[in-house]
Amino acid sequence: MNISFLHHPIVLIAKKEIMDNIRNKWILLMTGIFAALTLLISYFGSLGQGWQDLGLTIAGMMALVQYLIPIIGLMLGYAAIVGEIERGSMSALLSFPLKRIEVLIGKFLGLGGVLSFSLLVGFGIAGIVISANVSEVDIGQYLIFLLASVLLGLVFVALSLLASSFFHNRSTAMGLAIFLWFFFTMIWGIIMLGVAMLSMDVETAFTSGFPDWYYAINIINPISAYGTLVSLNVGPVSSSFTEQAFSNPAFYSSELMATILFLWIAISLIIAYIFFKKRDI
Amino acid sequence: MLEKKIRCPSCDFVQTVNGEPGQTVKITCPSCNNVGAFQFPKDPSLHPSDDTSSAISVVELTKTFESVSAVDSATFHIKKGEIFGFLGPNGAGKTTTIKAILGLLYPDKGEIRINGTNIFTDEKKAKSQIGYLPEKVAFYDNLTALQNLMFYAEIKQVSKQCCQPLLNEFGLADAVDKKVGAFSKGMLQRLGMARAVMGDPSILILDEPSSGLDPRGVVFMREKIKHMQQRGATVLVSSHILGEIQEMCDRVCIINKGKIVAVDRIDNLGTRLHLRPKIVILLEKMTEKILKAVEKLKDVDHVETTGTLLEVNCLASAKANVILSVVKAGGNIMNLQIREPSLEDVFMRFTED
Repeated sequence: MNISFLHHPIVLIAKKEIMDNIRNKWILLMTGIFAALTLLISYFGSLGQGWQDLGLTIAGMMALVQYLIPIIGLMLGYAAIVGEIERGSMSALLSFPLKRIEVLIGKFLGLGGVLSFSLLVGFGIAGIVISANVSEVDIGQYLIFLLASVLLGLVFVALSLLASSFFHNRSTAMGLAIFLWFFFTMIWGIIMLGVAMLSMDVETAFTSGFPDWYYAINIINPISAYGTLVSLNVGPVSSSFTEQAFSNPAFYSSELMATILFLWIAISLIIAYIFFKKRDI
Repeated sequence: MLEKKIRCPSCDFVQTVNGEPGQTVKITCPSCNNVGAFQFPKDPSLHPSDDTSSAISVVELTKTFESVSAVDSATFHIKKGEIFGFLGPNGAGKTTTIKAILGLLYPDKGEIRINGTNIFTDEKKAKSQIGYLPEKVAFYDNLTALQNLMFYAEIKQVSKQCCQPLLNEFGLADAVDKKVGAFSKGMLQRLGMARAVMGDPSILILDEPSSGLDPRGVVFMREKIKHMQQRGATVLVSSHILGEIQEMCDRVCIINKGKIVAVDRIDNLGTRLHLRPKIVILLEKMTEKILKAVEKLKDVDHVETTGTLLEVNCLASAKANVILSVVKAGGNIMNLQIREPSLEDVFMRFTED
């Protein structure tokens, strides 16, 4: 049976997720938060000297955004699968002619779409307001920041679906989601510091640079990859201790960082599917 | 006459043997002269067949949860167009079997076919023929009844135009725009049934369809199920309300502790268990003559008296003779009741420890 694109089960599941988030006003709330944060940081970040340009605004926002986008992505999706199974609606849904992979991808596209829309519109509106108030505007830099933020959001939505497919109740899925957030935003930095202290003379490393393998491990963390992707295109932006505001190693490139983020999305979804497919509903 | 292909364990030669249900056939391999025997099953309906008239075929279904056997080698075939009752005590494996039929859980072993299509290899084709009412009816609480049905209609690729008439048909016309989160259990059950019959599926699987319904709702649901059968659907009903099953179903399957213990028509099951009708006669006066007249009758199993109440267990063919003997012996019958063996009797016998 040929099904038109708009009536494909993946599109229908995605559409339902988007409509749910429109109905419960989540999409509006997130868009408002992203826009308001950007405007506040741009205006007040300069300590009373008025609007900062987009580059400085991005630099000011990075520390906050690196925490905010992952937690929003994780909270959006942690109950998407397990919540429906617990409630009983998943057994009814899967008795219809559709496959589990279609449900998973549909949910990813729907929830990812909601977060992407909020980021693009929220940051977009703020970008337009800032551009109207400053003399130098580099739209290209801001677009890269926007797209990188969307990619980071999608990584954490995929991770949230992995948690949702793995656990048998919402509370443990939420526990894993919160752990993942802690791990990537806090624990990772501590681990990297520990690795540095155990394997090298840190004082020398700070003056003459860290070895390449250290930088390579660091960008396994999607938040580090995101920060690096933005800093490679916008300038040194990180205020987090997970990245060093030193010169980047030669092998760092935008393509590599984007690939790492895409790999996180793909691998998370593949593992989520393996768990979801094997699961008794 | 049954037919079975047998593979010789010594030389792998395959030969066909014929026999009657329950018969043990001696086999000699024409290739290597190896000698063996094969017993045909006593009840062929419990065993695999190549019957193309089956709407649902479950063969050797086995499912274990953390070393606890939920379903053990369950085999049964549901004929096209029949209402098939699926019974068993709590925890017997009913819902596990139903979920396996729907592809919602993966068996450790076994095969399930929906109108000939394997549910696990061509799940979309198989599921497109099924309407399902789960035991725990759940919808999206934040959506209205109409929005819920329209979502499922899109998923099932049927016209959304069918949703409003379905809600009207199931007595939910006044609740079309009401959020499902505010629905009562009975309303949810009606909405669940509307979802199940959407798109006129050829197979309906109903897990406790009367759950949460008032008596009027139970009658309504029963009529809907019969109506679906008249339209050509095959219906699998799991219910604890045995009277409902007895009234609706052409055949029943009883599962106990994960094993299928019976599949047949209810009257056949009663006969197999030697269940007898019971005649209860209230007499004006009980006499020794009446008692002796009844006791000496052929095909009477058991006679019991309590005051002027006479209870007689006998073969169905002896019922008229019992009544006639009482009258001939001078008994004045004040009241008479004949209790046929019920599904409850059958169920209790098949599920007793």
